[in-house]
Amino acid sequence: MKILAPLRHSDEVAPLCAAGAGEFYCGLTPPGWDEAFGQAWVHRRNPKSAGVPDLADLRRIVALAHPRPVYATLNAPSYPAGAVPRLVEFGRRLVDDVGVSALIVAEWELLLALCDEGLAPRVHISSLATCRNPGAAAFYRSLGVSRVILPRHMTLAEIEETAIPGLEWEAFLLNDGCAFEEGICATSHAFGPYCIDDRIGARSGRLDERYEFWKWTLNNCGCQTSRGYTLGPCGLCALPRLAQLGIASLKVVGREASLARKVASVRLAAIALTRAERGARPEDIRDAVVAERGAPELCRDAHLCYYPDVWAGGARQRKPLVAPLRRMPFVRDDAPASPAMPGGNVADAGSVHPAARSNPPSSRGRSC
Amino acid sequence: MASIARPPIRTTMCDPHEDRPRGVATRVEYGLRLTNLTEPPPDPRAVCPPAWRSLLPEGPVVALYFGSEFCEDRLPDADEATAFCERARDRGLEPTLLTPLVGPEGLRIVDALLAALAANRCAPAVVFNDWGVLGLLRERHPALPRRAGRLINRSLRDPRAYRDNCGDAPAGTATHDASRFVRLRRMLADFGVEAVETDADLDGGYLGNGRDGDGAGLGRALHLPYTFAASGRGCPLKAGLYPEGGGFAKAIADRCPAPCRGKPLPVLRNDTGLPHWRGGNTLFYEIPQDVARAWLSHTDRIVLHEDATP
Repeated sequence: MKILAPLRHSDEVAPLCAAGAGEFYCGLTPPGWDEAFGQAWVHRRNPKSAGVPDLADLRRIVALAHPRPVYATLNAPSYPAGAVPRLVEFGRRLVDDVGVSALIVAEWELLLALCDEGLAPRVHISSLATCRNPGAAAFYRSLGVSRVILPRHMTLAEIEETAIPGLEWEAFLLNDGCAFEEGICATSHAFGPYCIDDRIGARSGRLDERYEFWKWTLNNCGCQTSRGYTLGPCGLCALPRLAQLGIASLKVVGREASLARKVASVRLAAIALTRAERGARPEDIRDAVVAERGAPELCRDAHLCYYPDVWAGGARQRKPLVAPLRRMPFVRDDAPASPAMPGGNVADAGSVHPAARSNPPSSRGRSC
Repeated sequence: MASIARPPIRTTMCDPHEDRPRGVATRVEYGLRLTNLTEPPPDPRAVCPPAWRSLLPEGPVVALYFGSEFCEDRLPDADEATAFCERARDRGLEPTLLTPLVGPEGLRIVDALLAALAANRCAPAVVFNDWGVLGLLRERHPALPRRAGRLINRSLRDPRAYRDNCGDAPAGTATHDASRFVRLRRMLADFGVEAVETDADLDGGYLGNGRDGDGAGLGRALHLPYTFAASGRGCPLKAGLYPEGGGFAKAIADRCPAPCRGKPLPVLRNDTGLPHWRGGNTLFYEIPQDVARAWLSHTDRIVLHEDATP
């Protein structure tokens, strides 16, 4: 299994390689795109904060990363009329000229157009395409694509059934959750994450607080770090199981994150992967991660688990959600003006909403 | 009501594979999605909020929709589905089963449901929103009419775009350019799909130009008056069934007794003036009527929902 690292600049390649990255992915807006298609995003992420600056820098990335592969995202959920031919041309240029190993694609029309152009073997199906069962996987395999990225919200048991032979499989490993299924969230982060302002309603009482807490964990616990490590959704303890299931690539999320966050995330993933490759159990990996990162409270109740069913064998200690989060020594490293933590214990605080209110829409949510 | 910015609307027909005049529905038919198995009203528009009734054209009801496009736990059991099919048959309507994105277990549930319906001599049309379900239909239930559901259309529907100064999406100014998704529609037609369905997105064009005079092409259906904004597996209402510390990500694969059955919950948001509802795991909103009006000439069937139901 390889650690797939996000990046947005060639300066990030060397430190991420040193941290343990085995593959890279990034996004680049085609030259002249804005003139033709305005502010429509080519990627799921904001091109200004998450994109590689230009083709020249992407060439540097590919050269510096070699022999590690670099993948390029063209993974907006939909495109305006006239965009697909432009993106096919751009995608071919990225593959043939720039040396990008594969294109990460979500939109059906672009996918089919790339297949028509003979580029299917160089296509990875984005998690936004929501491949959640073996029948859907067979459909993508029939198109001739090389890899499928599994959506976030799948259990290990579901992955086992879905990850059919004949495809390479990629799974989420660290950071940046989604409250909704990303592939069927029809909103745009250009307006800020839609989920952040979603409320169940005052009459729901504690359920609303629990919903806020869950969203807060998905948002990397309000973009905090502990000892420099991110505190977002995490699948590290599931690495032994993911290896058994044939997962080839482990996605670390956060192209727009600071280099320090990216490096720390890849380093933590590498620590866990090394242990998994040596036969460590999930409990062993959890202990190693907590020893390195801190924040044991978040692991004790599986608050951050991408794959909580890794504990289905009984290792997880299910407790009421009353951990003393108030005193956890986390450091919010990029939004000092806002409250980093809930106003009190998350179980009794009506004010639990640290990430949603503190930043302007353009930087809210996945901006850590 | 939020204001709607209006950039120039392209009216040229750009689809090189669909070289007939831009489709204008000369006859609109209706599908009804009732919340419960009740008697369909003589005038389908009666299920809508009153303000919608004058907007919508007259037309016959031809189909009775049931099932779920958003949650596999809201799929009916065989008895309930059979009852819908029989009611539809008694009224001369086509029973139409909605199916959602599914996991492996959901795929088995859909397969078993279709098999049970076949055993009960029911043969509904099936709306699929998952490539796995389409494969199931092609391989194991090939006689059932198949329709591509609104989650096959992944175009943006962000309700916050229905205002001025929006970000990356047109503000209620769908171009309805049928050059979008030409390949997708061709593939769907090759797979034996009869129609494409959607709710109103921000771009338009997904539905294409409809069938030609020879009946070739895909039928077009528009779901009104509710558009989905976002859906997922971390259902808050399901989470409410668990003790603190449970639910959400820890329960995504658990079967759910669907506490969301019944009326959807109103949702208040400060970032949009459009009415919102939570139907279980899905947030819906009521689209501006001006937006709906612009879609009417691009559809052959209007699927009217009694409620914002997942």
